[in-house]
Amino acid sequence: MGKINDILSPFTAWKHLIREPLTIKKPLEREGADRYRGFHKNEIDKCIGCGTCEDICQNAAIDLVPVEGIETKHGDSGLRPKIDYGRCCWCALCVDICTTNSLSMSNEFTWIDEDADNFLFVPGADAKPWDNSEKGWKKPNYNLYNPNRVEMNELHPEERDKSFIEIVQGYSKGQALAEADRCVECGICTATCPAQMGIPEYIKAIRNDNLEEGLRILYDTNPLPEICGRICTHKCETVCSVGHQGDPISIRWLKRYIADQNPSEKFKKILGTDTIEQNGKKVAIIGSGPSGLSAAHYLALMGYSCTIFEKLPLAGGMMRYGIPEYRLPYDQIDKDINYILSLGVEIKYNTTIGKDITLEQLNKDYDAVFAGTGLHLGRSTKIPGSDNKNVYFATDLLREISLGNEIPIENKIVVIGGGNVALDITRSMARLQNQKYGKVNIITTSLESEDIMPADREEIIEGREEQAQIIPGWGPIEIEIENDKVKGLHVVKCLSVFDEDGRFNPKFDENIKNFFEADMIVESIGQGMDLSYLSVSIKENLEMDNRGRIIVNKHFQSSIEWLFLGGDIIQGPDVIHGIANGHKAAIGIDNYINNKK
Amino acid sequence: MKEIINKIEKLYPISDFKQQNDKTALLTVEQDKAVDLLIYMQKFEGFKHLAILTAVDWIENNQFQLSYIINNPELKMDLILRVFIDREKAEMTSIHNLWEQAATYQRELKEMFGINFPNSPRVDKPFILEGWDGLPPYRRDFDTKKYSEDTYFPREGRTKNNPVEYMKQKLYPDE
Repeated sequence: MGKINDILSPFTAWKHLIREPLTIKKPLEREGADRYRGFHKNEIDKCIGCGTCEDICQNAAIDLVPVEGIETKHGDSGLRPKIDYGRCCWCALCVDICTTNSLSMSNEFTWIDEDADNFLFVPGADAKPWDNSEKGWKKPNYNLYNPNRVEMNELHPEERDKSFIEIVQGYSKGQALAEADRCVECGICTATCPAQMGIPEYIKAIRNDNLEEGLRILYDTNPLPEICGRICTHKCETVCSVGHQGDPISIRWLKRYIADQNPSEKFKKILGTDTIEQNGKKVAIIGSGPSGLSAAHYLALMGYSCTIFEKLPLAGGMMRYGIPEYRLPYDQIDKDINYILSLGVEIKYNTTIGKDITLEQLNKDYDAVFAGTGLHLGRSTKIPGSDNKNVYFATDLLREISLGNEIPIENKIVVIGGGNVALDITRSMARLQNQKYGKVNIITTSLESEDIMPADREEIIEGREEQAQIIPGWGPIEIEIENDKVKGLHVVKCLSVFDEDGRFNPKFDENIKNFFEADMIVESIGQGMDLSYLSVSIKENLEMDNRGRIIVNKHFQSSIEWLFLGGDIIQGPDVIHGIANGHKAAIGIDNYINNKK
Repeated sequence: MKEIINKIEKLYPISDFKQQNDKTALLTVEQDKAVDLLIYMQKFEGFKHLAILTAVDWIENNQFQLSYIINNPELKMDLILRVFIDREKAEMTSIHNLWEQAATYQRELKEMFGINFPNSPRVDKPFILEGWDGLPPYRRDFDTKKYSEDTYFPREGRTKNNPVEYMKQKLYPDE
């Protein structure tokens, strides 16, 4: 029996003749699996050219190149990844790390060409047949970096609403390391920082736990790190690539961490400024705000002898007299300033230019003059009733608080304004009201609706936590006065603040009215500069534009060649622009003095 | 599996036993008793098949981890034996006498991690790398990116741009 089977069984194979073959007739037309890692795709408008794909590529297969039609702007380098398929190993790490989630892979894997150089292209810019393919590898649901920011410890509203103790408590070492670990080191932030700080470098120093190196990187571009680490407007964080698919890196708090962790007595040793060779030249600086201090710092490092003339009893300008202590404690301002003073910078306090000494005299006594006198004059709404004695300017009140003087605190207060200064005075007075009356009754109203209020978002949130009422979107029309006493503020609905060209041109609906009761009103709608220290002859020679702004060159030199100006009167207003201006002016002054001889 | 473990933990220095699922378990064994345990598992517990021998570089602890995955075809069970060895003196007793195919794994580990298995057949012959005399490439201190850049870059027709420098030129041309 077995033998017959042995003879017949080979013939059973004949049945396969009529079966469908398992081999593929046209292997090049076979589609890859749904999640196959094939040629790259890039949503070119979503991509910001951060270069993280290039950095992570272990095969050096990716280059960032300029692409026609893509402009370099804040938050977008204008570069796009070009992939060399001679090197790509299809690992998809570039897709997995992509900060904007613009890069993906199609499932297309066949492409035949006789010229090897064709296998280099910019996905998304060089059109390819697979650009619209739905299938392929996409960013997985796990992350190669944590998209969520490490929470900052802050005082609870009930712990802080009666005191001026600092709210933000700073990162611990573990928190800072975890936060620094989220940075992809792309450096997109650097161009947006007015001082162009080496942000990825100092974050890397935190990761390497080398805080002395971190401090040196900070001082390369910013001599006020304790201050900026607390109250910088952190424009860098608005462009952070990690912010596209999560929270941006807490750049400001990380800067503060470096400054906080280095003890002030070690600064000179760490920064190598124990001895500075003097060059015998002298520079006068008017105003000890951020721009003046920054100019003094960088000039002192170059060997100049700097004297700062300060009108008020203490240094710091708006940083001390404009920003409340709960945001920026005075001892931290002192830490930054004392280091600059330790470089030999001298400050003459309570000295007003134009009164105690003239600008002309400074020109005679010094080789150059830098003025960073800031915006200290309050601006008025000029509505009926605004001339009443119970209507104040925010800047004046903030200065009085910092000077330690008592300010009038009434039962019901209305603040007009929607910027950070308005919130600073609101929250300061809420604290003082709480101390005095045990309750808060303060209304802050702005022209801008909530989505376009210029104040930082956290200021609005924290202000409300401290029981201030913030009511945006109203235009003040009249302050009601009865028997010379303030009764309240009449407002009408503000429909829009800016016109189509983006110019300030508010539109109101006069029929929608509101009335905020008050016995004290504070105006905080912007500040102006006080140039009374400039004599008539200097003013005549000083070139200004048609809006009354002083014209300076890229070194912040005015049309009067020995006079350099910077800070809020030129650019900003904020601390970091002042610092950047002061640094550039210091370089300009050095050039000017060297060319003079 | 539990009964087997109960038996062998009296005989061998094992730790960190973990039942991963019905079919897979892990344990760690001391280096000098690891081969004894493998022999025992092969001869007496029916783990006749060596599925794989591989390694992990724990550079932080200055150790290599060797993972022997052995299989019992009757019970349809896998056991992963982990052995930690010194990274500086990366050497382990060969098991090619137990499983012939181990020689190939050991040859691969010698080439890719630099872990030596003395007397393992052809252990010093190149496995997939030809003419390699640098740091074994699976060691974590091998800088793949640097190797790529040194070896394959620059290629004609390729240029690189650093976003930070490029943005500075474009946005602040005067500085």
